[in-house]
Amino acid sequence: MKLQVKRWISQFVFLVSANLGAFGFKTGFCYPFFYCNACPAATSACPIRAIEISVKDSNWRFFLYPFLILGFIGVLFGRGVCGWACPIGLLQRATGRVARGLKKRFPVLKRIGELRVEHYFRYIKYLDVIGLAMIIPFFVNFMFTDICPVGVMVGTIPISILNPGEYTPNGFYYIAMVVFVLFLILIFVVERGWCRYFCPVGALLAPFNKISMYYVSVDKSKCTHCNLCSYACPMGIDIPNMDRSLECILCGKCVNACPKNLIEIKRG
Amino acid sequence: MKKIQVVQITLLIVSAGFFTSLFLYTDTYNEIKAVIVDTTCFSCIKMNPVTHFTFTFNTLNNQPHPTYVQDNLTKIGPVFLAFRADVCAACDKMDPILKKVFNVEFGKKELFHQIIEYQGSNISFFHINIDHASGEFLNSFSIYDRDHRSGVPMFVMITLGNNSGKIQPYYMTAYGELTGTHNDKERIEYFDKMINKGIEFYQENIEEYIKQEESN
Repeated sequence: MKLQVKRWISQFVFLVSANLGAFGFKTGFCYPFFYCNACPAATSACPIRAIEISVKDSNWRFFLYPFLILGFIGVLFGRGVCGWACPIGLLQRATGRVARGLKKRFPVLKRIGELRVEHYFRYIKYLDVIGLAMIIPFFVNFMFTDICPVGVMVGTIPISILNPGEYTPNGFYYIAMVVFVLFLILIFVVERGWCRYFCPVGALLAPFNKISMYYVSVDKSKCTHCNLCSYACPMGIDIPNMDRSLECILCGKCVNACPKNLIEIKRG
Repeated sequence: MKKIQVVQITLLIVSAGFFTSLFLYTDTYNEIKAVIVDTTCFSCIKMNPVTHFTFTFNTLNNQPHPTYVQDNLTKIGPVFLAFRADVCAACDKMDPILKKVFNVEFGKKELFHQIIEYQGSNISFFHINIDHASGEFLNSFSIYDRDHRSGVPMFVMITLGNNSGKIQPYYMTAYGELTGTHNDKERIEYFDKMINKGIEFYQENIEEYIKQEESN
């Protein structure tokens, strides 16, 4: 079976399993990917929410719990979770094609990727998790989940539809809606824009790419630098020089793109 | 064996070991389920539930009223329950208002109970933190969650009502920051209206209720 078909199946299976709460199946685990516990069908807890509660309430167990889950899976697959399991990753896989089309039509979008500072934008996701989910909640009553666009998408919108007129917006509603619209624009304009720049769970998993059991390896000695792999990469990585890049989501698009079959997903 | 493999295996064993011990020897799994998964996170959905100012006899899934509520109803007066959780911005906002209305002092994590004289009538006031409460007190959170919102803060006024000839516990549930109120003054007035209504119903029905209980 083709790698990309396997990935569709895997993502679909995880999307369904993340929503088994619709049939009353609720667990006390944290998702190892980005999904919201406020979704009426959610099976598990958002790891970022657990971290926020731990910081707010000085509860070390709630802090350790998501880290242990993410750590175990991170050592095995690194950010492979983003490419193979995350429902938000699946959404962005779907919008990625549009983003690619728009990039061809509007050269200005292509220039965003060519900016020299683009590399630094990728550090925003670490600020998200350390600043918004750990430091700020400790001092004031504001946290990442107050403005989280995924909470709006899978929590606010379904709940408003299921219970019309039963809820009223709170203080963060309109700010969160603006963030949500920006999120939608982002994922349609930049391929996997949320994963690249803002995803806090991706930020927690990223360091594990350096030691993960599964990783993408390139046979550099035979590489002709045709750059077809980098062109295919949804995360915009310079594949021949990546060497266990923090951004790699193990999607395998470069493996398929290489005309000489020099790229492979390795174990070890 | 390569150096990286040693690191990988060590990390896998350490994380799996710690996770298993957290899972087996602490209550973290159940706490995560209760605090995050089973409770609706209003900050995640950025909305507050609407409060309807109507009293009802029907508890959620027709569960029986807890014994401590029934005892207080027969012996003392109407019962007021205030539910909160550890991490809840709206609860932090509402607690000082409650303290002002009932003229009491209580801790955030405390299961607090006091009989309060409110404008000449006795009221039994309970402050329940659902992250620390257990047994009947925790169960009452789902019993009185009339609109099935499963979120905090939640305030319940339990009094007595005439259900076509039979006197039964009669209650209303208010959620979140109380819909339609915009500042602390309006919220205090809302609670006052809720409590006065409760006292009024109670005084109308208590004699009949005691007679009914005695004949049973």
